[in-house]
Amino acid sequence: MTVQREQTLPAVSGKPSSDSRTKDGKPRGPHRQLGPKLVPYLFLLPFLLLFIFFLILPLVYALGISMFEDRLVGGSVFIGAENYLRAFRDQAFLDGVGRMLLFGVVQVPIMLALALTFALILESGLVRFRKFFRLAIFLPYAIPSVVAALTWGYLYGPTFGPFTQAAEFLNITPPRFLSEAGMLPSLGNIVTWEFTGYNMIILYAALQAVPPELREASSVDGATGWQIARYIKIPLIAPALVLTTVFSIIGTLQLFNEPSIMGAIAPTVIQNDYTPNLYAYNLAFQNQQYNFSAAISFALGFIVFVGSFTFMTAMNRRNAT
Amino acid sequence: MGRTLECVPAGWEKRKGVSGMRAFGLTAYRTQWGVLKTVAVALVITLVTAGCFGAGGGDEGDGATGGAETSEGPVELTFWSWVPDLQKEVDLFEEAHPNIAVKLVNAGTGADEYTKLRTALKAGSGAPDVVQVEFQFIPTFRQIDGLVDLSQYGANEVKDDYADWAWDQVSEGDSVYAIPQDSGPMGLLYRKDIFEKYNLEVPTTWDEFAAEAEKLHKANPDIFMTDFPPSDPGWFTGLLWQNGVRPFEVDGTNVSVSLDDPAVLQVTEFWGDLIDAGLVDTTPDFTNEWYSGLSEGKYASWVSAAWGPVFLQGIAGKTSGKWRVAPLPQWEEGEEVTANWGGSTDAVTTQSDNPEEAAELAIWLNHDPESVAMLNETSFLFPVLESHLESDDFKTKQYPFYGGQEVNEVFIESSNNVDTGFEWSPFQDYVYSQMSTHLSAAIKGEMSYTEAIEDLQSTVAKYAEDQGFTLQQ
Amino acid sequence: MVQASVTDRPPVLRHRNSSRNIATLVMLLFLVYFFLPLFWLVVSSTKTNSQLFSSFGLWVASTINIVENVRDVFAYDDGVYLTWLLNTAQYAVISAVGAAFLATLSGYAFAKFRFRGRNTAFAAILGSIMVPQTALVIPTYLLLSKIGLINTPLAVILPSLVNPLGVYLMRVYSEQSVPDELIDAARVDGAGELRIFWSVAFRILTPGFVTVLLLSFVATWNNYFLPLTVLSEPTLYPVTVGLAAWNDLASASGAAQALYTLVITGALIAILPLIAAFLFLQRYWQGGLTFGSVK
Repeated sequence: MTVQREQTLPAVSGKPSSDSRTKDGKPRGPHRQLGPKLVPYLFLLPFLLLFIFFLILPLVYALGISMFEDRLVGGSVFIGAENYLRAFRDQAFLDGVGRMLLFGVVQVPIMLALALTFALILESGLVRFRKFFRLAIFLPYAIPSVVAALTWGYLYGPTFGPFTQAAEFLNITPPRFLSEAGMLPSLGNIVTWEFTGYNMIILYAALQAVPPELREASSVDGATGWQIARYIKIPLIAPALVLTTVFSIIGTLQLFNEPSIMGAIAPTVIQNDYTPNLYAYNLAFQNQQYNFSAAISFALGFIVFVGSFTFMTAMNRRNAT
Repeated sequence: MGRTLECVPAGWEKRKGVSGMRAFGLTAYRTQWGVLKTVAVALVITLVTAGCFGAGGGDEGDGATGGAETSEGPVELTFWSWVPDLQKEVDLFEEAHPNIAVKLVNAGTGADEYTKLRTALKAGSGAPDVVQVEFQFIPTFRQIDGLVDLSQYGANEVKDDYADWAWDQVSEGDSVYAIPQDSGPMGLLYRKDIFEKYNLEVPTTWDEFAAEAEKLHKANPDIFMTDFPPSDPGWFTGLLWQNGVRPFEVDGTNVSVSLDDPAVLQVTEFWGDLIDAGLVDTTPDFTNEWYSGLSEGKYASWVSAAWGPVFLQGIAGKTSGKWRVAPLPQWEEGEEVTANWGGSTDAVTTQSDNPEEAAELAIWLNHDPESVAMLNETSFLFPVLESHLESDDFKTKQYPFYGGQEVNEVFIESSNNVDTGFEWSPFQDYVYSQMSTHLSAAIKGEMSYTEAIEDLQSTVAKYAEDQGFTLQQ
Repeated sequence: MVQASVTDRPPVLRHRNSSRNIATLVMLLFLVYFFLPLFWLVVSSTKTNSQLFSSFGLWVASTINIVENVRDVFAYDDGVYLTWLLNTAQYAVISAVGAAFLATLSGYAFAKFRFRGRNTAFAAILGSIMVPQTALVIPTYLLLSKIGLINTPLAVILPSLVNPLGVYLMRVYSEQSVPDELIDAARVDGAGELRIFWSVAFRILTPGFVTVLLLSFVATWNNYFLPLTVLSEPTLYPVTVGLAAWNDLASASGAAQALYTLVITGALIAILPLIAAFLFLQRYWQGGLTFGSVK
């Protein structure tokens, strides 16, 4: 019975699957010619080689230079963790992180709520032209973020932008998209526009995996569409929601393209340190402080890690009780 | 078995049982929960590895990587430049130099090219033989030993053929680090129709400029005298330059920083007052809003440079015939001091295996009369070569967009009046970025213009010290 | 059989027409929002440079210039735009196929085998998503230049083959769609592991494969930063870097040129192949994202 169950469970996170059978002493038959122990490594080899070369090595290198200080005059000195101590005391960096957290707390829920609503509506068959809507909402994802930001930047224009012109035509105060207060919402709008469709598709796909029997059963019980969504569908796609949230948190903290383009049209609002990633970039390529920049990047990576980890632990607790 | 179950919350398992499904949706959360524990371990491992790694972070050896050509066949040079239509001039050069083949590459405009150049210099290979560099970045690339001294290849022989101030920008004593290609002596582009409609005088001094700005604003609050772009430190530096500011003096590793000198404060407060009074707009330049402003009559003038007139034609076509060009307003009545904004040079990088041929390319391209004429006529570069500046064809060319005005004449005069002796810092990107940050802060009202300048001074001075320079006062 | 469960099922609940109409109307409103920037792009591509800055942005100007603009895009600089488009296609197709294939192989291995270092390797792969790309620019450049790949197509393609998210997705997908029994049965029949992967597992994994392929395709098609740093020759540029170079020419004090019509029309043309790819592969990618729909 136990063995039976093991076989039907997917092998995730160290859950024994195929090799538990070998432990049980079940012979694997004459198909061992490849050397079964080597097989997974062979499968992984091509990816891992490239992964090590183009991700691990550069990361290790970056980590290495983050422990040095390289001056324009006088060369390079090993300073250990000092750049990291400096990073976590650096007001510009901390402000940037704070700004992104604020951004994320508002933007991520809005985007995911929209994505979930669209997914539920499209999946429930409540609307016509479903395929068309699905593709249309997903479409912005295919637009390069640089083009998206440029386009929205134009639409936001404080004098000649179409919204402003329309507002003036109607004699109402035009919204100030590019002002100090307006910038975070404006950026949030761009990101929402770009990624709602992507998240919707993931959630939509997860919803499609909800067994029809469940839904049929509940509708026979007289549950309304809303009740089915709230009590059956949403809990069932919780893992997909967690996944999209974590990716959104990562994406938010690493925001770069959109603010960098908006910085060109609103330089008084978006400065070099507006987001932590923008800050790291400018430290390296404008200030030539490569070492400190690398430390900032890793500090940011650490914060992203802590953020995702905390979120998942919280979700885990909630689900466990 | 028990160990692995730790990673899976009990409720989860149960729910799986209820659904009776092998899997549903994404099992993200369960997977990552276990996985993240090990991420921490992986990070530690990486940290430890990096510890052993350390020393590699510094110097990367000198770049003798590019396979040296054997002496047979022509020498091949790579040339990075973003000047449009430059291939024609390069073809001319190759015709005149059968032993040199040139591969012309547009590696990006300004900052993009510099990022590549800097990374290549750091990596020890990948830099071109000849590279286009704007005047203000020559000391920056010299500082990281990127540029070859061209005096050993006869650069000083052509010295006297260039505008004094331009040569001054590329050389230090007898050393020459680049050959000037084009320039942007400053001038004032203004809307004749708007000036006439509101009875404005073309200002000859900045005081008059301010007075006319006020007059215009009273007559029509929707039109601004001009725009002050907060994100264009090159433009602002031009204005400082005109007022005799010498923000940097560099001597080896000794640097003096004078960004808070009275002349700087004078310029900054002048513009600050105009901005605070709402007489001048603060839209970033080279953006949609700004182009529309120029095209729709939001601005009565543009404080620009010699390359401005042709550029303006391209974006404000419907205002053709309405613009005119005047000399840059002066700080003192009767003076004729101007400055430079923009323009660039060609330099030879220290990674070149054939610096002699590379130097020949940089010199010839910007010295041969035919090549220089082409640069001006097809690529619209404003020349720095005296012989071309003074040629009648160039001087008397009429521009219909400017009502048939002989525009070049104004800028030739300006070029002759550019103040010599202006120096750039060896970390100009940083200075520029701090300059826009501080000006922005003042425009936003976070600090006064005076405070912004004082803070700019101390920030830049501190950076210079942190980078190992000795500060001189 | 996978696709069948993915394509639109008839709605289980029959809704009254009126509520359907209201919901459809609401969705149409959102559609305006999602189409607005695209609409601007299309409208702008019909304008001349001067009209761009002197007419209302969301409607066409007095003359429609799109034919000339498209011609100009392909004619400028000896038709370099077409080269960029072909480069982009080349980089995107090779990277996408390669990345999807490597991700499938690894995802399958993570899902179906137990081996030493599995958790560590998987954790490292997932963890790598969390470090921002800016940290990698200089080291990647140094590495590529050490092996002499700077300024070659491989400098763009090789790093693009690494898609950690793809590995993760393929692991989940393999776990959920390839039954262990099937693999065991094939083993009993004496098939080698590679053959099992090819002839048994890969077929089932195709929708996931296509999804990762499409995601990689979009990522490489729209990649800007990597090609910008590792390529210096315009004839090697992908379209994103090329368009940015045109865009920058306007603010090059000195030899400034305003090429905005080219940039806008070029951006519009560059999006079309992506839209086409999504349309044609629609039933696959939507299937692939339905991880776990297979019984």
